[in-house]
Amino acid sequence: MRRLKRLSLTDSSPAAPGVHPQPLWSLRPTSDRQSGDAVVSNFILHWFPAKVTKASLDWNYSFWLGTVSAALLLLLTVSGGPLLFLYVPSVERAYASIKDIEFAVTFGSWIRSVHRFGAHLMVAAVFLHLARVFLTGAYKNGIGQGQRREINWVLGVFMLLVTLLLSFTGYLLPWDQLAFWAVTVGTNIASSIPLVGPQVRELLLGGRAIDQPTLIRFYVMHIIVLPGALGALFVYHMWRVRKDGGLARADRAARLPAPAASGPVPTKTYTLLGVARGTSPAVTTTRLQDEEATVNAVPDLTRRAAIVVLGTFAVLSAMAVLMRSPLEDPANALVTPNPAKAPWYFLWLQEIVTDTTVHIGSFTINGAFIGGVVLPGLIVGLLTTWPWLDRSPRAAAGVWFPQSRRTQNIVFLLLTLFVIALTLIGTFCRGPYWHFYWPWQGWPDIPTRL
Amino acid sequence: MTEKNRREFLLRVGSTAGMCAIGYQGGAALRSLVPNVSYDAPTTVKVGLPSEFPEGLKFLPDLRLFVFREGNVFHAISAVCTHLGCTVRAEALPQPEAKTVDGKPLRLTHRFQCPCHGSRYAGDGSNVAGPAPQPLAWYHLSVAADDGQLVADLAQTVDHDFRLTV
Repeated sequence: MRRLKRLSLTDSSPAAPGVHPQPLWSLRPTSDRQSGDAVVSNFILHWFPAKVTKASLDWNYSFWLGTVSAALLLLLTVSGGPLLFLYVPSVERAYASIKDIEFAVTFGSWIRSVHRFGAHLMVAAVFLHLARVFLTGAYKNGIGQGQRREINWVLGVFMLLVTLLLSFTGYLLPWDQLAFWAVTVGTNIASSIPLVGPQVRELLLGGRAIDQPTLIRFYVMHIIVLPGALGALFVYHMWRVRKDGGLARADRAARLPAPAASGPVPTKTYTLLGVARGTSPAVTTTRLQDEEATVNAVPDLTRRAAIVVLGTFAVLSAMAVLMRSPLEDPANALVTPNPAKAPWYFLWLQEIVTDTTVHIGSFTINGAFIGGVVLPGLIVGLLTTWPWLDRSPRAAAGVWFPQSRRTQNIVFLLLTLFVIALTLIGTFCRGPYWHFYWPWQGWPDIPTRL
Repeated sequence: MTEKNRREFLLRVGSTAGMCAIGYQGGAALRSLVPNVSYDAPTTVKVGLPSEFPEGLKFLPDLRLFVFREGNVFHAISAVCTHLGCTVRAEALPQPEAKTVDGKPLRLTHRFQCPCHGSRYAGDGSNVAGPAPQPLAWYHLSVAADDGQLVADLAQTVDHDFRLTV
């Protein structure tokens, strides 16, 4: 703080840090001094650095997908609040309580839609965020000391998994047909694990049949365990972004030749990017000192963040007003819907478990195990270890499609395309009995009951 | 023992004891989630008098069971798909087929398909296409001594040559 004061660029020094005669001064700083002070004094702004590189604010570098994900997480938390009061986690009453929320509660349908579509958008946003970080090699360390971006990548992969688990446990709660058969299929996938499978299924279900213990388990996972885990991961994720010196793009900007320095370079204990671990900040002699390359976080970063967050709110609000959330028939253990489709983000897995049963002579491995456990496990294993397998140079960090990472980016994109193709097939080309129909083909009439 | 050593020793003893306590209590809390009792539906169920069953197939949705009748000969096949546990649906064949299953003749009147992942089974429950890794289970049938109803035993799978003649 003392140092900040010494570096003060204006003469308007407040009586004490954070004390300003002007209300909302931290949102509308009038000087560099004030804008730096805002970050230090304002609780909400404290997670931002004082200054950021212009490059890392670019719309078309990050597409602000992390911010979008965080905004959706906020909306999901907020919209989950009223739903907690209205939803009854009982197999007899869950469906009716959702119906009440949908048809009897004032604005209930809208709140539920915000929650439901927010979840869909969040799965998409978190995945796109991961794809952006992969394609720009942003999990690679640049020039800062003490950078451990690979940790943040692993945290991010776990956050995607928790997001998917939150979605899964969430769409079980209405206890409709979708829920019941998703639990059936999901827990039977767990049960296909050799040796321990049946015990795992029993632990998930809270018994051997899908009943009240099952619903309460998934409910507690959905409202306490998984949000808690996601919150902790989120906080650590944000902290690491600061420790790692912001976006990988900032490192890249810093690598550009510095303007000719004259005389000794000032050392700062508050560095621009917060990468000072050890005694000598490594970024002081770079472009980051250049007035042209950086801007104050307040208001330049906060303004864009606000645009992104409010834009996310606007899109989701419009979706929630215009579209109704689906609710299938009440859970019926006697009838499996035909076809029984998972939500879109699990359809590729549904396709894979359909196609991966392997027969070798008289020996058979269930596709549930290969497609439901082994392949997803391999994908997660590969994703979490990829930063250590990626041998591309540091210069490849923070740039879209660098030459040195071309092969891995192409493979990543091909795998993504494959998953998207499977999702599209599952969505548009699967009819009764999971037979293949073109979207323009009609489905045959099949009696729903025997 | 110097004072420093003693402090270090006590610190280690204390922290180890603390870790053990937290670990044990955490384990105990998690153990409480493993059910000791499962309130399952009974597996031995009376399903009705043999005379109430139509010739051919009758589906019992609560038991997820197909009961077949050919004159006075009965057998029962599970409707639970062996892939991921959805309920398969029966489809009548246009023409019944005769087949020898496990050395015994069987008239196949239906075939089965699963709505979840498209597994297909022949009328004797054998898996013919799709991801199903095994044939549908056959269950034991008997006649109740007291009232003559058919009794299905869902805990006892039987070979495909099982027939109950009443």
